[in-house]
Amino acid sequence: MNDPLDDLLDARLRDEAPYIDDAGFTTRVMKQLPRRRLSWNKQRAVVIFVATIVSVVVAYFASGEGLFVHDAFARISGLQPLQLFLVIVACGITMTIAGLWAALTRRHETMI
Amino acid sequence: MELTDADLLARVLVDGDQHAFGELVRRHQSPVRGLLRQLVRADVELADDLAQETFIRAYKHIRSFRGESKFSTWLYRIAYNIFREHARKRKELVGIDEEQLQAKADPQTVDPGLRHDLMNALAGLPLHERTAVTLCCQNGLSHDEAARVLDIPLGTVKTNVLRGREKLKKILADWAT
Repeated sequence: MNDPLDDLLDARLRDEAPYIDDAGFTTRVMKQLPRRRLSWNKQRAVVIFVATIVSVVVAYFASGEGLFVHDAFARISGLQPLQLFLVIVACGITMTIAGLWAALTRRHETMI
Repeated sequence: MELTDADLLARVLVDGDQHAFGELVRRHQSPVRGLLRQLVRADVELADDLAQETFIRAYKHIRSFRGESKFSTWLYRIAYNIFREHARKRKELVGIDEEQLQAKADPQTVDPGLRHDLMNALAGLPLHERTAVTLCCQNGLSHDEAARVLDIPLGTVKTNVLRGREKLKKILADWAT
Protein backbone atom coordinates (compact mmCIF):
# COMPACT_ATOMS: atom_id res chain seq x y z
CA MET A 1 0.00 0.00 0.00
CA ASN A 2 1.25 3.48 -0.87
CA ASP A 3 2.34 5.84 1.83
CA PRO A 4 -0.32 8.62 1.89
CA LEU A 5 2.52 11.13 2.12
CA ASP A 6 3.89 9.80 -1.18
CA ASP A 7 0.54 10.36 -2.87
CA LEU A 8 0.23 13.82 -1.36
CA LEU A 9 3.76 14.72 -2.44
CA ASP A 10 3.14 13.50 -6.00
CA ALA A 11 -0.07 15.49 -6.20
CA ARG A 12 1.58 18.63 -4.82
CA LEU A 13 4.57 18.39 -7.14
CA ARG A 14 2.33 17.93 -10.17
CA ASP A 15 0.21 20.90 -9.09
CA GLU A 16 3.34 23.00 -8.75
CA ALA A 17 4.29 22.40 -12.37
CA PRO A 18 1.62 24.51 -14.08
CA TYR A 19 1.52 25.18 -17.80
CA ILE A 20 3.76 28.14 -18.62
CA ASP A 21 2.04 30.43 -21.10
CA ASP A 22 3.98 30.88 -24.33
CA ALA A 23 3.72 34.71 -24.17
CA GLY A 24 5.83 35.28 -27.29
CA PHE A 25 8.50 32.74 -26.38
CA THR A 26 8.06 30.71 -29.58
CA THR A 27 8.20 33.86 -31.72
CA ARG A 28 11.45 34.92 -30.05
CA VAL A 29 12.97 31.50 -30.68
CA MET A 30 11.87 31.49 -34.33
CA LYS A 31 13.46 34.91 -34.90
CA GLN A 32 16.78 33.59 -33.65
CA LEU A 33 16.87 30.42 -35.73
CA PRO A 34 19.69 30.29 -38.27
CA ARG A 35 18.70 31.22 -41.82
CA ARG A 36 16.83 28.49 -43.57
CA ARG A 37 19.01 26.45 -45.88
CA LEU A 38 17.87 24.39 -48.83
CA SER A 39 16.57 21.03 -47.68
CA TRP A 40 18.55 17.92 -48.59
CA ASN A 41 16.02 17.02 -51.29
CA LYS A 42 16.28 20.45 -52.90
CA GLN A 43 20.08 20.44 -52.63
CA ARG A 44 20.11 17.05 -54.33
CA ALA A 45 17.83 18.27 -57.10
CA VAL A 46 20.07 21.29 -57.74
CA VAL A 47 23.21 19.11 -57.80
CA ILE A 48 21.62 16.65 -60.23
CA PHE A 49 20.36 19.43 -62.50
CA VAL A 50 23.72 21.22 -62.64
CA ALA A 51 25.60 17.94 -63.16
CA THR A 52 23.26 17.02 -66.00
CA ILE A 53 23.74 20.34 -67.79
CA VAL A 54 27.53 20.16 -67.41
CA SER A 55 27.59 16.56 -68.63
CA VAL A 56 25.50 17.40 -71.69
CA VAL A 57 27.74 20.33 -72.62
CA VAL A 58 30.92 18.28 -72.10
CA ALA A 59 29.51 15.34 -74.07
CA TYR A 60 28.38 17.64 -76.87
CA PHE A 61 31.78 19.17 -77.43
CA ALA A 62 33.72 15.99 -76.70
CA SER A 63 31.79 14.09 -79.35
CA GLY A 64 32.34 16.41 -82.26
CA GLU A 65 29.32 18.59 -81.59
CA GLY A 66 26.84 15.78 -81.11
CA LEU A 67 27.64 13.69 -84.14
CA PHE A 68 27.12 10.60 -82.04
CA VAL A 69 23.41 11.50 -81.71
CA HIS A 70 23.10 11.65 -85.47
CA ASP A 71 24.89 8.32 -85.77
CA ALA A 72 22.70 6.76 -83.07
CA PHE A 73 19.51 7.81 -84.82
CA ALA A 74 20.87 6.48 -88.09
CA ARG A 75 21.61 3.12 -86.40
CA ILE A 76 18.16 3.00 -84.76
CA SER A 77 16.41 3.74 -88.01
CA GLY A 78 18.19 0.74 -89.51
CA LEU A 79 16.87 -1.67 -86.86
CA GLN A 80 14.26 -4.33 -87.54
CA PRO A 81 10.81 -3.58 -86.03
CA LEU A 82 11.25 -6.38 -83.42
CA GLN A 83 14.67 -5.08 -82.39
CA LEU A 84 13.25 -1.58 -82.09
CA PHE A 85 10.39 -2.93 -79.93
CA LEU A 86 12.85 -4.70 -77.62
CA VAL A 87 14.92 -1.53 -77.22
CA ILE A 88 11.79 0.45 -76.28
CA VAL A 89 10.69 -2.25 -73.76
CA ALA A 90 14.17 -2.32 -72.20
CA CYS A 91 14.13 1.47 -71.85
CA GLY A 92 10.67 1.34 -70.24
CA ILE A 93 11.71 -1.31 -67.73
CA THR A 94 14.86 0.63 -66.85
CA MET A 95 12.88 3.84 -66.26
CA THR A 96 10.29 1.98 -64.13
CA ILE A 97 12.99 0.46 -61.94
CA ALA A 98 14.69 3.85 -61.55
CA GLY A 99 11.36 5.48 -60.60
CA LEU A 100 10.53 2.79 -58.05
CA TRP A 101 13.99 3.02 -56.52
CA ALA A 102 13.68 6.81 -56.19
CA ALA A 103 10.23 6.52 -54.59
CA LEU A 104 11.33 3.87 -52.08
CA THR A 105 14.46 5.81 -51.18
CA ARG A 106 12.41 8.94 -50.50
CA ARG A 107 10.01 7.01 -48.24
CA HIS A 108 12.93 5.63 -46.25
CA GLU A 109 14.38 9.11 -45.69
CA THR A 110 11.20 10.49 -44.13
CA MET A 111 11.23 7.85 -41.39
CA ILE A 112 12.81 9.06 -38.15
CA MET B 1 -6.00 15.69 -37.09
CA GLU B 2 -3.10 16.97 -35.02
CA LEU B 3 0.32 16.04 -36.31
CA THR B 4 2.56 13.98 -34.04
CA ASP B 5 6.03 15.08 -33.01
CA ALA B 6 7.43 12.54 -35.48
CA ASP B 7 5.39 14.04 -38.34
CA LEU B 8 6.62 17.53 -37.50
CA LEU B 9 10.21 16.32 -37.20
CA ALA B 10 9.92 14.68 -40.61
CA ARG B 11 8.80 17.99 -42.09
CA VAL B 12 11.73 19.80 -40.49
CA LEU B 13 14.22 17.19 -41.68
CA VAL B 14 12.96 16.58 -45.20
CA ASP B 15 11.51 19.95 -46.21
CA GLY B 16 13.42 22.25 -43.82
CA ASP B 17 9.99 23.44 -42.62
CA GLN B 18 10.61 26.06 -39.92
CA HIS B 19 6.88 26.37 -39.18
CA ALA B 20 6.87 22.70 -38.18
CA PHE B 21 9.76 23.41 -35.83
CA GLY B 22 7.81 26.36 -34.44
CA GLU B 23 4.95 24.01 -33.60
CA LEU B 24 7.40 21.73 -31.78
CA VAL B 25 8.67 24.71 -29.78
CA ARG B 26 5.12 25.74 -28.91
CA ARG B 27 4.33 22.20 -27.70
CA HIS B 28 7.41 21.71 -25.58
CA GLN B 29 8.23 25.20 -24.33
CA SER B 30 6.32 24.88 -21.07
CA PRO B 31 8.00 21.76 -19.62
CA VAL B 32 11.45 22.83 -20.85
CA ARG B 33 11.10 26.30 -19.33
CA GLY B 34 9.66 24.76 -16.17
CA LEU B 35 12.63 22.42 -15.80
CA LEU B 36 15.11 25.26 -16.33
CA ARG B 37 13.28 27.45 -13.81
CA GLN B 38 13.72 24.70 -11.25
CA LEU B 39 17.38 24.29 -12.15
CA VAL B 40 18.18 28.01 -11.93
CA ARG B 41 15.84 28.42 -8.98
CA ALA B 42 13.11 30.63 -10.31
CA ASP B 43 15.32 33.16 -12.12
CA VAL B 44 12.72 33.42 -14.87
CA GLU B 45 14.72 35.56 -17.30
CA LEU B 46 17.79 33.38 -17.09
CA ALA B 47 15.67 30.24 -17.42
CA ASP B 48 14.01 31.61 -20.56
CA ASP B 49 17.35 32.59 -22.06
CA LEU B 50 18.62 29.06 -21.50
CA ALA B 51 15.36 27.65 -22.90
CA GLN B 52 15.78 29.72 -26.06
CA GLU B 53 19.31 28.44 -26.40
CA THR B 54 17.99 24.91 -25.92
CA PHE B 55 15.58 25.15 -28.84
CA ILE B 56 18.09 26.88 -31.11
CA ARG B 57 20.65 24.17 -30.40
CA ALA B 58 17.99 21.51 -30.97
CA TYR B 59 17.22 23.05 -34.38
CA LYS B 60 20.89 23.20 -35.37
CA HIS B 61 21.49 19.57 -34.38
CA ILE B 62 18.11 18.13 -35.29
CA ARG B 63 19.71 15.61 -37.64
CA SER B 64 21.45 14.01 -34.67
CA PHE B 65 18.08 13.09 -33.14
CA ARG B 66 17.74 9.38 -33.92
CA GLY B 67 14.31 8.81 -32.45
CA GLU B 68 15.70 6.37 -29.86
CA SER B 69 14.01 8.38 -27.11
CA LYS B 70 11.04 10.72 -27.02
CA PHE B 71 11.67 14.16 -28.54
CA SER B 72 10.89 15.74 -25.16
CA THR B 73 13.53 13.58 -23.46
CA TRP B 74 16.07 14.71 -26.06
CA LEU B 75 15.12 18.34 -25.40
CA TYR B 76 15.48 17.89 -21.63
CA ARG B 77 18.94 16.50 -22.20
CA ILE B 78 19.96 19.50 -24.29
CA ALA B 79 18.44 21.85 -21.69
CA TYR B 80 20.33 20.13 -18.87
CA ASN B 81 23.62 20.28 -20.82
CA ILE B 82 23.11 23.98 -21.50
CA PHE B 83 22.37 24.58 -17.82
CA ARG B 84 25.56 22.74 -16.84
CA GLU B 85 27.62 24.75 -19.32
CA HIS B 86 26.12 27.93 -17.94
CA ALA B 87 26.77 26.86 -14.35
CA ARG B 88 30.35 25.95 -15.21
CA LYS B 89 30.91 29.37 -16.76
CA ARG B 90 29.47 31.10 -13.73
CA LYS B 91 30.64 28.88 -10.93
CA GLU B 92 30.32 31.63 -8.38
CA LEU B 93 26.60 31.99 -9.14
CA VAL B 94 25.89 28.38 -8.23
CA GLY B 95 27.89 28.61 -5.02
CA ILE B 96 26.21 31.79 -3.82
CA ASP B 97 22.74 30.65 -4.74
CA GLU B 98 23.25 27.39 -2.92
CA GLU B 99 23.91 29.17 0.34
CA GLN B 100 21.27 31.84 -0.14
CA LEU B 101 18.60 29.34 -0.96
CA GLN B 102 19.52 27.01 1.83
CA ALA B 103 18.87 29.93 4.14
CA LYS B 104 15.59 30.65 2.39
CA ALA B 105 14.60 27.03 2.78
CA ASP B 106 14.84 27.23 6.54
CA PRO B 107 11.26 26.46 7.69
CA GLN B 108 11.48 29.10 10.40
CA THR B 109 12.14 31.93 7.96
CA VAL B 110 9.55 31.22 5.31
CA ASP B 111 5.88 31.66 4.77
CA PRO B 112 4.01 29.06 6.82
CA GLY B 113 1.98 27.90 3.79
CA LEU B 114 2.58 24.36 2.61
CA ARG B 115 3.09 25.40 -1.01
CA HIS B 116 5.78 27.87 -0.09
CA ASP B 117 7.45 25.37 2.23
CA LEU B 118 7.42 22.65 -0.38
CA MET B 119 8.76 24.84 -3.17
CA ASN B 120 11.44 26.22 -0.90
CA ALA B 121 12.34 22.71 0.15
CA LEU B 122 12.55 21.66 -3.51
CA ALA B 123 14.67 24.70 -4.35
CA GLY B 124 16.85 23.93 -1.34
CA LEU B 125 17.63 20.37 -2.41
CA PRO B 126 21.11 19.73 -3.78
CA LEU B 127 21.20 20.12 -7.55
CA HIS B 128 21.37 16.39 -8.35
CA GLU B 129 18.37 15.59 -6.13
CA ARG B 130 16.39 18.63 -7.30
CA THR B 131 16.95 17.77 -10.95
CA ALA B 132 16.02 14.11 -10.49
CA VAL B 133 12.86 14.97 -8.53
CA THR B 134 11.83 17.63 -11.05
CA LEU B 135 12.29 15.33 -14.03
CA CYS B 136 10.65 12.27 -12.50
CA CYS B 137 7.98 13.72 -10.21
CA GLN B 138 7.04 16.94 -12.00
CA ASN B 139 7.79 16.26 -15.66
CA GLY B 140 6.72 12.61 -15.52
CA LEU B 141 9.88 11.01 -16.90
CA SER B 142 10.68 7.41 -15.99
CA HIS B 143 13.86 6.76 -14.02
CA ASP B 144 15.37 5.31 -17.16
CA GLU B 145 14.57 8.42 -19.20
CA ALA B 146 15.91 10.68 -16.47
CA ALA B 147 19.13 8.65 -16.39
CA ARG B 148 19.54 9.31 -20.12
CA VAL B 149 18.84 13.01 -19.72
CA LEU B 150 21.31 13.39 -16.88
CA ASP B 151 23.79 10.89 -18.33
CA ILE B 152 24.18 9.11 -15.01
CA PRO B 153 23.52 5.49 -13.97
CA LEU B 154 19.93 4.42 -13.37
CA GLY B 155 20.69 3.48 -9.76
CA THR B 156 22.00 6.98 -9.07
CA VAL B 157 18.80 8.52 -10.41
CA LYS B 158 16.70 6.24 -8.18
CA THR B 159 18.80 7.14 -5.15
CA ASN B 160 18.59 10.87 -5.88
CA VAL B 161 14.82 10.74 -6.37
CA LEU B 162 14.39 8.71 -3.19
CA ARG B 163 16.56 11.04 -1.09
CA GLY B 164 14.93 14.14 -2.50
CA ARG B 165 11.47 12.76 -1.90
CA GLU B 166 12.32 11.78 1.68
CA LYS B 167 13.37 15.36 2.41
CA LEU B 168 10.22 16.77 0.81
CA LYS B 169 8.07 14.26 2.67
CA LYS B 170 9.61 15.42 5.91
CA ILE B 171 8.42 18.95 5.13
CA LEU B 172 4.96 17.61 4.36
CA ALA B 173 4.91 15.57 7.56
CA ASP B 174 6.03 18.56 9.65
CA TRP B 175 3.36 20.70 8.06
CA ALA B 176 0.66 18.09 8.66
CA THR B 177 1.43 17.79 12.39
